[in-house]
Amino acid sequence: MRVLVVDDAAFVRAKIGRLLSANGYVIEEAENGAEAVSKFQSYRPDIVLMDITMPVMDGIAAVRELRRLDPGVKVVVCTALGQRAMVLEAIRAGARDFIVKPFDNERLLAAIERLANHG
Amino acid sequence: MLKASFVNPFVKAATEVLQAECRLTMRRGQLRMTTSKATSNDVTVIVGVAGDLQGIVLYGMSERTAKALAAIMSDTQVPIFDSMAESAVAELGNMITGCAASGLEAEGHLCQLTPPTLVSGRGVMISTINIQHLVIPVETDHGTLEINVALRNGTVPA
Repeated sequence: MRVLVVDDAAFVRAKIGRLLSANGYVIEEAENGAEAVSKFQSYRPDIVLMDITMPVMDGIAAVRELRRLDPGVKVVVCTALGQRAMVLEAIRAGARDFIVKPFDNERLLAAIERLANHG
Repeated sequence: MLKASFVNPFVKAATEVLQAECRLTMRRGQLRMTTSKATSNDVTVIVGVAGDLQGIVLYGMSERTAKALAAIMSDTQVPIFDSMAESAVAELGNMITGCAASGLEAEGHLCQLTPPTLVSGRGVMISTINIQHLVIPVETDHGTLEINVALRNGTVPA
């Protein structure tokens, strides 16, 4: 199962990468939304884990672009922005789940596993 | 005008994030106002705020504190404040500001944030701080985190 981890913070990418790798997932990383869109087309991940506040292209714009490329794309948004308005915007853009940082490892794994198993 | 209601969400957010991410309890120190535009700590994380409130929030700390926080967040030793440690501390500022933004939303202020920027060194001029701002010292077992809240209402009267 391949997961594309999109976050501008190297620390977050490394932390999530370690967690998911230890649980059997294969990881690719992207530093912003534009890089995520590019890597999505070549890497074809099963699941995308997407931050929102990023330079170049933010996560909401990236989710919309991924949905345009693949209406069935499975995206979990993982962001420090837990505002109600942001959750609604992410869901409207096409995110399947929304996790607020700081996140609990079990919560993140459960969200990934749920999408992996049931979509 | 800096309102107390702009500030309280940051204290709550710092409490929650330091507990969740660093397993630290905090004690709030004496609040003070300042108009200084210069950084006063070894390490400063800057997060821009736009929307109903506009301005910036700074998180200042000593390098010793920054390394200690990065070490806890990474579950590893941080002998040198390298790029990964910088990223961890910047993310801490991002998470506190994001959490505070939720509290501000509950009070009717919808805000957008910029990605965090980290500045090293004391006395670095932050030219975008052009308003009086409030300093909230947050004491932890690994040193003090100074939260500078420089926000004003972004709504322009008709």
